[in-house]
Amino acid sequence: MNPQRIGVYVCWCGSNIAKIVDVEKVARVMARIPGVEVSREYKYMCSDPGQELIMKDIKELGLDRVVVASCSPRMHEPTFRKTLKLAGLNPYMLEMANIREHVSWVHENQELATAKAINLTRAAVHRVMVHAPLVQHEVPVNRATMVLGGGITGMTAALRIAGQGRKVYLVERSDELGGRAIGVGRAGPHMNSVAALLDNLTTRVNDSAYIDVLTGTVVGEVSGFVGNFLVRLANGTRELTVGAIVVATGTQPFDAKKLHRSGYGRFPNVVTSTQFEEMAASGRFTTESGKAPRRVAIIHCVGSRDSETHSYCSRTCCMDALRFSNILRDALPDAAIYQAYSDMRAFGRDAEEFYARTAERDVTFLLFDKLLPPTVSEAPAGDPYPLLVTMDEIATGIAIEVPADLVVLMVAREACSDAKDVAKLVSISVDKDGFFIEKHPKLDPAATTTDGIYIAGSCQGPKDIPDCMSQAGATAARVLAAITMGKVKVPATTATVNEDLCVGCQTCISVCPYGAVIYLDKHRVSRVEEVICKGCGTCAAACPAGTISPRHFTDNQVLQQLEGLLAAEEG
Amino acid sequence: MSRRLDPTLPARLREMGLMDNSKCFNCGHCTAVCQLTEEGFAYPRQDIRMLQMGLGDALTERVEPWLCYYCGDCTKSCPRDANPAEQMMALRRYLTAAYDWTGLAWKFYTSKAWEIGVLLGLALIVVGLFVVPHLLHPGQIQWEPLDGGVAVSSFAAVSWVHLGDMVMLGLLSFLLLSNIFRMGRRILGAARVPIPITLYLSEAWHLVTHFATQRRFGKCNDKEAYWVVHLMLMSGYAIMFLLVIVFLSSLQTDVGLNWTTLPGYFATFALLYASAYFLRGRWQKSAEVNRYSTFSDWLFPALLFATSLTGILMHIFRYYLTWPAGTYVMYVIHMAIVVPMLMVEVPFSKWSHLAYRPFAIYFANIRSKALQAAQKTQPGSLGVPPAVSNALEV
Repeated sequence: MNPQRIGVYVCWCGSNIAKIVDVEKVARVMARIPGVEVSREYKYMCSDPGQELIMKDIKELGLDRVVVASCSPRMHEPTFRKTLKLAGLNPYMLEMANIREHVSWVHENQELATAKAINLTRAAVHRVMVHAPLVQHEVPVNRATMVLGGGITGMTAALRIAGQGRKVYLVERSDELGGRAIGVGRAGPHMNSVAALLDNLTTRVNDSAYIDVLTGTVVGEVSGFVGNFLVRLANGTRELTVGAIVVATGTQPFDAKKLHRSGYGRFPNVVTSTQFEEMAASGRFTTESGKAPRRVAIIHCVGSRDSETHSYCSRTCCMDALRFSNILRDALPDAAIYQAYSDMRAFGRDAEEFYARTAERDVTFLLFDKLLPPTVSEAPAGDPYPLLVTMDEIATGIAIEVPADLVVLMVAREACSDAKDVAKLVSISVDKDGFFIEKHPKLDPAATTTDGIYIAGSCQGPKDIPDCMSQAGATAARVLAAITMGKVKVPATTATVNEDLCVGCQTCISVCPYGAVIYLDKHRVSRVEEVICKGCGTCAAACPAGTISPRHFTDNQVLQQLEGLLAAEEG
Repeated sequence: MSRRLDPTLPARLREMGLMDNSKCFNCGHCTAVCQLTEEGFAYPRQDIRMLQMGLGDALTERVEPWLCYYCGDCTKSCPRDANPAEQMMALRRYLTAAYDWTGLAWKFYTSKAWEIGVLLGLALIVVGLFVVPHLLHPGQIQWEPLDGGVAVSSFAAVSWVHLGDMVMLGLLSFLLLSNIFRMGRRILGAARVPIPITLYLSEAWHLVTHFATQRRFGKCNDKEAYWVVHLMLMSGYAIMFLLVIVFLSSLQTDVGLNWTTLPGYFATFALLYASAYFLRGRWQKSAEVNRYSTFSDWLFPALLFATSLTGILMHIFRYYLTWPAGTYVMYVIHMAIVVPMLMVEVPFSKWSHLAYRPFAIYFANIRSKALQAAQKTQPGSLGVPPAVSNALEV
């Protein structure tokens, strides 16, 4: 083995590291390790003079690998990799030791902190000795996009992408565009017409030269990887090649029959919010007997925030319930309107004002504990109203019964019953409630952990129309950024199979969360599709024959790191 | 036991002068700032909430509206301008009507025509009772001064007037006490435990002292003057009550001034001053309590003022001008005001709160002590939160 020429650079991070860690001592100790050509400390390694220091040493001292002991690699690994690259080294010949987040920020004893910093930095030195140069590949990107789901979100995302002159296949399972918004008359808090919004969107979608609307269409299979997906439609007649896929499959209403206490399915005058929308659209509000209702009870959180069904908040029903109260008040000036709620979630702009305005329209709000939701039962014979809603009203502490001739259940919005199938189709994950999981809730809310697959709208969690529109726009921008370059970089730190040793047991295929491992029938071995692989290492850990190795995280590299960590103290 | 909601309750209260009751969102700020509310007797938030929800029946079991003396602190600090103090006032009207079995209180609070009609009708009957016997038996009235004085008894025989007093006393006592009985049955019934008979006696002293002194007024912020005026009013009532009911033969003599004159002067002054004070307040609307006076709030002090004024005029005509005709006419006018006023106000309207307030404290303490006793004998078996059994601070 060639004598290695390692440069170690210990950063003060101003006083962030230096006030706890004796950085000079760390640098001194590192200098004694065989193979370490130079070991320095500097006030700000990431600053331009700091980086120039490294580049100068690489060139003048002929360094072939570098250790930077500073902050988290999450912060500056890309910075120092770029430094190496600029100095003519392969960027993967870098290793970082995190002596800020893992040492100076979390310890108070200077002596012990310095000892820990020495151990971590020595581990990095030992590891970098066995680093190998890696190459990052680029693959070409197909610039067409498939949008799955023709609701408000899907149509909006499609329009935004098509607006940049990119091809979009808008695939909708039903025969009509519009999704769950079909039949919704108006949306609170401003009571805008949803029908007009839908009309606007569908017209623009249908008129767009770049959008291919495929209604009545189900996707059968998706294969390939970012930039190069092959989509086979279920009817088998057509195959689409796309570079990105947007999943916007929305939600479905909760089936209130699952909750006996709701009375749904047992009493004809108990209706769901979906049925109430139909009533509102027709403009005719009637009880089973055909008369106009005189006592209407609207019950919140049916299937939401409930230990038996869904623990999450469905987010849209509170404002829907207020909207229903306004619609009812307009249509039935003399009816008593009750809202049984457990927390009024009026969080959007103007929503609180909408709540206040509604309260001034003779609507009675009744508060229940979400652990003790109301029960709907039949009124005793002789009562003037057919139903009784009973609950503990916790603002008064009084057990009450509300006579009603119409009960409206604000049913939860839940993940579509086939959400798991859709997730499997495009290799993304679902949470415990069946909603698709984004790559990062704050930093990357429109992407998923599978490159090229994006999500938008309520399929990621219940949302109101403004939130759906916003995310549709964000997702479209994310898609456009990915496809406009025409090529996409794939990570270099992927797994690789030693095909000579592989026995073809396919354990790796069953554990891969990204569908990145394929089986070569002809050779009876597994192969990792590097474009799809995230380098998570699951396959390498699972492989019984030890034939899979994740690049940059090889067994040897990890063992060397441990060796360095546990090595006998040199001073 | 669950309580049934009645959505018509707020509308019914609006007929009795309740203003907008939709603004309150039950934050409880009112209860936090109230000087009088205490553990076990929390208001006004709870009462307003019950009003909004339509729990009229459950409200009749509550004493809290009577424990509020309308200082207006809650209204001044309400973040929603929901005017809690006025809502409590409306609830007191509602409770007065709810206790009253005749239904007249309800009529008087919701209809000016009814209230004025009954007052006028009663006034006509009073005039008739004085005039008709003299028409049938003319020649009895002494129109000239006799021995230097006005012979009032020739116009209104003491025995007959005294009989009238007794009839009024009986009728008013019966009406008021029967309503108080209904009030007690609702409030004590809510305890759902047997009430030891001895409690009715041992708590009775509260009733007497609170009725005579109305001293909870003094606990309100800046209400000392209001309390003093109520004290004056009560002393005026008490003295006039004794003079008219017990000592009528001394009060109404045909000879000159006597021992009744001084207490009579004091009582008259007290009633005149108090009624003028209340009228002035309602007119100026500077204090919180006076900002939203209803017709019934005006009517009672106005009638009381007129009663005092006509009484004084009659006294002047009789003793200082020695003018028989003027004295007799003023006597009839005086009686035509005081009799209808007492008939309408004492059992059915504004005056009754002077009786309901001490009785509310009396019943509340009986209920609390009965609950305490029951909890001692059967601890934990009642499901009654301990706060409810706290006795009211008195």
